[in-house]
Amino acid sequence: MSVLQHLPLGRFIEAASRGSRQTKQTVQVSFIVMLLMAAMALFSAKVNAEVPNAVPPEGSYSGIHVEQPIEFPHDTHADINEINCMYCHTYARRSKVAGIPPTSKCMGCHSVIATDKPRIQKLTEYWENKQPPLWNKVHDVPDFVHFTHEKHIKRFVIDNEDLEVENVSEVCAFCHGEVKKMTVADKVKPLTMGFCQRCHQANDGPSDCWHCHK
Amino acid sequence: MSLSNLIDDWSRYRKGREEGGFHDYEHMWGMSIDLNKCIGCNACSVACYAENNLAVVGKEKFEKGQGMHWLRVERYWDEPDLGEERTSEFQQHGASFLPMMCQQCNAATCEPVCPVAATYHTPDGLNAQVYNRCIGSRYCSNNCPFRLRYFNFWSYYEDSWPAPLQMQLNPDISVRDMGVMEKCTFCVQRIRTVKDTARMEDRKVRDGEVQTACSQTCPTGAIEFGDMLGMYDPETGVAETRVTKMWRKHQVELGKTKQNKQTPEMRGYRVFEFLNTDPCVMYLDRVREV
Repeated sequence: MSVLQHLPLGRFIEAASRGSRQTKQTVQVSFIVMLLMAAMALFSAKVNAEVPNAVPPEGSYSGIHVEQPIEFPHDTHADINEINCMYCHTYARRSKVAGIPPTSKCMGCHSVIATDKPRIQKLTEYWENKQPPLWNKVHDVPDFVHFTHEKHIKRFVIDNEDLEVENVSEVCAFCHGEVKKMTVADKVKPLTMGFCQRCHQANDGPSDCWHCHK
Repeated sequence: MSLSNLIDDWSRYRKGREEGGFHDYEHMWGMSIDLNKCIGCNACSVACYAENNLAVVGKEKFEKGQGMHWLRVERYWDEPDLGEERTSEFQQHGASFLPMMCQQCNAATCEPVCPVAATYHTPDGLNAQVYNRCIGSRYCSNNCPFRLRYFNFWSYYEDSWPAPLQMQLNPDISVRDMGVMEKCTFCVQRIRTVKDTARMEDRKVRDGEVQTACSQTCPTGAIEFGDMLGMYDPETGVAETRVTKMWRKHQVELGKTKQNKQTPEMRGYRVFEFLNTDPCVMYLDRVREV
């Protein structure tokens, strides 16, 4: 009661419900419940708009930057040109690892597109020398962790009928952050056991130790 | 979380035992090893070394009891030692072999003693060992009646696989460091792969789809591995698994301290059954012509 008295709306409720003490309390409780429900509806609506039937994992991380041989612009590809993540990271739905595309896949487009840009010229140089660029690993989990992209993509993308195709990158963003706003991908999520486990609990994932530890 | 897994498991096991049937389990991986077929070639042991990133510790460490073989082939002599009269260092006749890997006991004695719940039972009926959780108290090893747990006394990974031999390591299982207890897992990485594939294809795991390294390698096919919950299904017509068939044929049942055999001449037995650890490995006794 005392908390609500400091709020203009609380005073209004109190004024509106002059009578027995019990009535006032009931009205206040129902008001709080209504507020909570509204907040929940807002929150869930916001989540459902992008990835339905899923609760994204929570956790913050200051982020690490890993230098790459070519400063690959994820934003140009995934955000401006709206290329699906799995066009290049094609193994994500098929195996444990998401995979780095072979240079031939890059050259499939870039033998004709934007050939005057310095980064594409560097790529062409690699291609002509028949040497792949040695990309450095950004998202790495310890040796004792078994993680499959395949099963997660199945749960959140393939079996998720309400998901719209253009929102697939939002699923990837659960663990990889907003990669489509970055140039070179940085590690911006903690990828710790707590981070995984919170998501598993929220989305009814397995909690058996040997599902993920090997 | 580990602790809750531990508690869930015990209640699941007790329920299965009281109601006669372990149907709350997802699978119940088990083995049947025919000692008549075993020729003691140690191929299973070698396969296990290759599959599970086991280090070869060398003669000196082995003598100190620091061997690291998840599957050892024990050798026994059926005929009496001739003593002075024998002509060579080893007896000429009467060797019998017993391949011993973790028996994956359902009422495992190693599990409740772990101070950090690094070992527990999975819903697959496996006795799990989580290496990154283990603190190396070795309590589980002391409590194992079969002595089938092995402790990493040294950092074997530093010099056991000099380059380029580290390329042979299996990426599906971690390379354990010093101070960690380890043991046979029934090749859990293979089970996991098969279960993942089956789930992606929306079907059940088929019989014979999971093979452990030892059963795959055995030249005489002495080791059978499979799901012991795989009963005959009259609706789908799926036959019972080979392991279930062997256990049923030899009248060995899970959850019993003493088998009540109708035909005692059937050869099946479990090691140290009277200890009530309820192992998932059945051996078929060796029969010799006298």
